[in-house]
Amino acid sequence: MSNKELPKEIERFNIIFRIQHIILFTTFLLLSFTGWALKYPEVEPSAWWVRIWGGPEIAGKIHRVAGVTMLLDFLWHVAYLGYLFTKGMKIRAVTTIIPLPRDIIDVIHNYLYFLGLSKTKPKFGRFSYIHKFDYWAVFWGMGIIGVSGFTLAFPVFSSQFFPEFTLGWIWPLLRILHSDEALLAIVFILFWHFYNEHLKVGKFPMSWTWLTGKISIEDLKHEHAREFEYLFPEAAKDE
Amino acid sequence: MTKFFFAVVIVALLCVPAAASTDCLICHSAMQGKMEGRKGVVDVHIDIEKFADSVHGDFQCTDCHMTYGTGPHTPPSGDVPADVAELIPFVSLKSKIDPVAQSACVICHPTIYKELRESVHGENIFVKKETDGPLCLDCHGSPHYIVPKTDENSHVNHANVLHTCGKCHEDEKIVEKYDMSAHVIEKYKESFHGKKYILGHKKVPICNTCHGSHNITKWDAPDSPVIGEGKVKTCGKCHAGATKKFAAAPAHKYIGKENPIPYYGEKLLILLVFGVFGFTISHVLLEAFAEIRDNVFRKKKGGHHE
Repeated sequence: MSNKELPKEIERFNIIFRIQHIILFTTFLLLSFTGWALKYPEVEPSAWWVRIWGGPEIAGKIHRVAGVTMLLDFLWHVAYLGYLFTKGMKIRAVTTIIPLPRDIIDVIHNYLYFLGLSKTKPKFGRFSYIHKFDYWAVFWGMGIIGVSGFTLAFPVFSSQFFPEFTLGWIWPLLRILHSDEALLAIVFILFWHFYNEHLKVGKFPMSWTWLTGKISIEDLKHEHAREFEYLFPEAAKDE
Repeated sequence: MTKFFFAVVIVALLCVPAAASTDCLICHSAMQGKMEGRKGVVDVHIDIEKFADSVHGDFQCTDCHMTYGTGPHTPPSGDVPADVAELIPFVSLKSKIDPVAQSACVICHPTIYKELRESVHGENIFVKKETDGPLCLDCHGSPHYIVPKTDENSHVNHANVLHTCGKCHEDEKIVEKYDMSAHVIEKYKESFHGKKYILGHKKVPICNTCHGSHNITKWDAPDSPVIGEGKVKTCGKCHAGATKKFAAAPAHKYIGKENPIPYYGEKLLILLVFGVFGFTISHVLLEAFAEIRDNVFRKKKGGHHE
């Protein structure tokens, strides 16, 4: 296959993944905005900020609805992945989101490149370690922030599952987990996700993949070289 | 000039809808500041507008200041009802300024007064004969200006309760003297309920929601609403279906070394947070630096970013 026969673009995320992502970031933004004031309630801007969201009572309701929606979105995603496996989706080193030893080598390689100690950039598969970090951070967040948030939103229901010996300290711990990990999630998204998908040279103002689901062959070649080689071995040989 | 001023005030007051209180208020609305009396320093000023707007606005002065009926310049005299008279020695412990008037609350509020006398607050005054512990005015403010508790100016309005209770419960001398739990106001502010309260949440529980008000008990009293079965009931007021297991949650326990798991848990989390920040921020900054270097200083031919 020569370069001429290559498609102009390929699909990276199907419509289901794109909808899941839209629900994820909408609820994420709502949760960040409505929950933020509770992190530092004693400072003046917090009371002002929470009034924008309808006051603490309304903000609390928005927060709970958004939180439950996000958890359902997450469960849908996991269930959908399960469904794809039953439909024959295969795990391949070059296309998987699962972290592999190679990712660590890529991290080191990339740092060396940043520092000018390596002339080449690492070649990534469908998901670079940057994407994998971004993706699994959501799983971490769902586990810590999602579960603690659920217990705080439905405390009477949740209390029946806590063993007797935890009752003296579990609630303050859950609150700290929810609050500190939420701060981590917000700052992580601000730096990692915004830089890599919005601010990076060639991406600004954003990568449009979230809407179209498509990636151009040019971008595929440069940003996902190993996936390109895997998908179009003939063309890759010609390069 | 001063005479003219008084004349204006008197004329103005006579225009106020007739009430016998006007006789007293002619002077007491115009008089400013405090005066040294035989029994202490008295604030002689009455803000008539605020008084008229208060829940007691249509009272006669002598309804409470009942021994001042004969005129302003004669010593107080006259009969006092037995239920009021009985309170006077106790009220006098706290304030010598017209204790008759300060005891007169009982005439209209006998049930609440009884509750208060039996509470841990009342016990301190009526049994232990201490000078600390709140009577009506300490929480509700001056009876001349009491407004319904739904009014945000009320000292016992939801938004002001923390401050009102804090007057004593944040006072280190009082806390030490009676061996009360220290830093309770601060602890509450640190709690989940407290954080929402500070943001202006109107339904979140505040001191009296759980501890009660006139009928307040010591926290570990047998009929306390904040331990055992009482606490389950108290939590259930808001958290429908609250169980003993649910009520075991600490309402406002300090997040400090006294509760080591959350305390050191938070320290670990902070370590994790900074670890992740360190990685992400260094990565982003270095990558941005590399991009700039590549695009500005090493213009590659035929490269991806031309």
